[in-house]
Amino acid sequence: MKLSTLLLRLMLILAAAFVVLPLLWTLLNAFKTNADLLVSTPKLFFQPVWDNMSYVLNRRSVARALTNSLIICTSAVVLGAVLGIPAAYVIARFKNRLTAEAQFFVLSLRFLPPVAIAIPMLVIWLGLDLYDTRLSLIVTYLIVTTSITIWLSIPAFEGVSLHVEEAARVDGLGPYATFFRIALPIVRFQVFGAVAFSFVLVWNEFLLAMMLTTSKAKTLPIIASEMSQLGMNVPWGILNAAVVLLSLPPLILLGVMASGLNAAFSKKTDQG
Amino acid sequence: MATVECRGIRKVYGSVEVMHDFNLKIDDHEFVVFLGPSGCGKSTMLRMIAGLEEISSGDLLIGGQRMNDRDPGDRGIAMVFQNYALYPHMSVRENIVFGLERAGIAKGAINERLAPVVEALGLGIYLSRKPTELSGGQQQRVAIARAMIKTPEVFLFDEPLSNLDAKLRGSLRVEIARLHRDLKTTSIYVTHDQLEAMTLADKIVLMKDGRIEQMGTPEEIYQSPATLFAAGFIGTPNMNFMQLQALNGEIGDSGARFKAPFAIRPGPVTVGIRPGAFQLTDEGGGLRGRVERNEFHGETRLVTLRNNSHEISIAVPAATAIKEGDVVGIDVAAHELHLFDPETEKRLEVHKVA
Repeated sequence: MKLSTLLLRLMLILAAAFVVLPLLWTLLNAFKTNADLLVSTPKLFFQPVWDNMSYVLNRRSVARALTNSLIICTSAVVLGAVLGIPAAYVIARFKNRLTAEAQFFVLSLRFLPPVAIAIPMLVIWLGLDLYDTRLSLIVTYLIVTTSITIWLSIPAFEGVSLHVEEAARVDGLGPYATFFRIALPIVRFQVFGAVAFSFVLVWNEFLLAMMLTTSKAKTLPIIASEMSQLGMNVPWGILNAAVVLLSLPPLILLGVMASGLNAAFSKKTDQG
Repeated sequence: MATVECRGIRKVYGSVEVMHDFNLKIDDHEFVVFLGPSGCGKSTMLRMIAGLEEISSGDLLIGGQRMNDRDPGDRGIAMVFQNYALYPHMSVRENIVFGLERAGIAKGAINERLAPVVEALGLGIYLSRKPTELSGGQQQRVAIARAMIKTPEVFLFDEPLSNLDAKLRGSLRVEIARLHRDLKTTSIYVTHDQLEAMTLADKIVLMKDGRIEQMGTPEEIYQSPATLFAAGFIGTPNMNFMQLQALNGEIGDSGARFKAPFAIRPGPVTVGIRPGAFQLTDEGGGLRGRVERNEFHGETRLVTLRNNSHEISIAVPAATAIKEGDVVGIDVAAHELHLFDPETEKRLEVHKVA
């Protein structure tokens, strides 16, 4: 192996360690007792305990927040995809003043600091008597999921050859069939990536959830943050367990997505 | 199979008219080639026939029925695109049968129709592959198969060979000719390549700036080009043009003199002569000049002659002993002269003599 290759490998390993080690540390700490945690030399080998996890999982507030998070994020993402993917296709395919403005408007939704959205939203939901409900949070999150899905799907649809769609028209497909049978299947991986990314964004969302919920509709990030305010002693173990639990769904999603992408790429290299 | 008829078709983008009053009748079984330089409107015309572009005014009839307002899928056409336009997410087999499945044809019938098409284009071993795993020539074969299996009334080809390398282009061109001989489906083929046009066409429609410049069999267009443009566009190497004066049954100036093929009104005239029409003479000749360039092309040599007023390319057999700097004379049979009116750029014919 050449020296330069060796150095590059080393740098890659270092970079990977930067990302992986803190996560690994969190995972380990989730299974430590406070006695193992609060030592000056961090322990790699210890007697793992399930106490922290079971404390987190058995709290009613956590169970409810997990349900809330799953329902709210899934609904917002699915609705965002249903609205956003066809919108992205139209913006990509029909270039005119209106769609150009629409595209910019969608992007501009992301310019505003979330606080600027949160305060008027708070007032609106209070006025509609929907404050602290799942519905209010789903609709609010739709701003995030729809705009991200649209924004990331437009370039994907623009990459579909116009001639392929024309061939489909010659094959007797109308505009809807062309979208569902031709354009969407061609860009499915990119669009799936966009949707998954929008899920991660709302799953981790904190500020809007904080301002728009008080008890019933609290999501997991809110509950996790509350764990640190349990008393004078910071419950490190419990906090770590909550973080692990919070990280699992996006990681699982990422895993599914990665295997899907891998399948797409490896198929090409197999026979190409 | 069907006839295609264009009656006064126009295409307008905004305030710009790109197709002016296009009239054409294509007979059943006929193979018609739209030929012209890029921007002449040949592809636009084909896309209007396909239904991919709207017709601004005029009537399009396929098989005697007006098609202006029908969707591309309902016109009884099949189209082959320049960049193949295969569905990248489907296998070769799915690409070929997709149109039939959409049309609701039973599985058994589809398989029955698939076999001979796959056989004709030699696609048997590729059926389960994805288009991206095929070469350009194979992809275009799949696209032709996809068009063929629909047994359309009319085949439309939009520069199908332009993206292929020269060798493949030649072999696939022969294949398209063979398929047409077997199927006899009315076909319209767009190209800027005159070789494709000459070898494939029953009738060439030569176009320029959104108008038909000349229409006829390849022989007609080659032997009696109707305009200066047609004369210059068809034929390789290019035709020679000279601005000469007609006087007393002769056409010439200080550097060239030819016998007029027919009585012609005195005055300026544009003369076109194909490089292959000349005979070399050591002495005399209608035009004498010094050999300036002598290119060996294999079968022939392309020799450039120059004298004080003209520069002429002539094609001679490769074995001809000739070298740069030689002074030679050339003669042309009177019937090989193509005469054009310098004003209108139209061909001068016997019956138009003043």
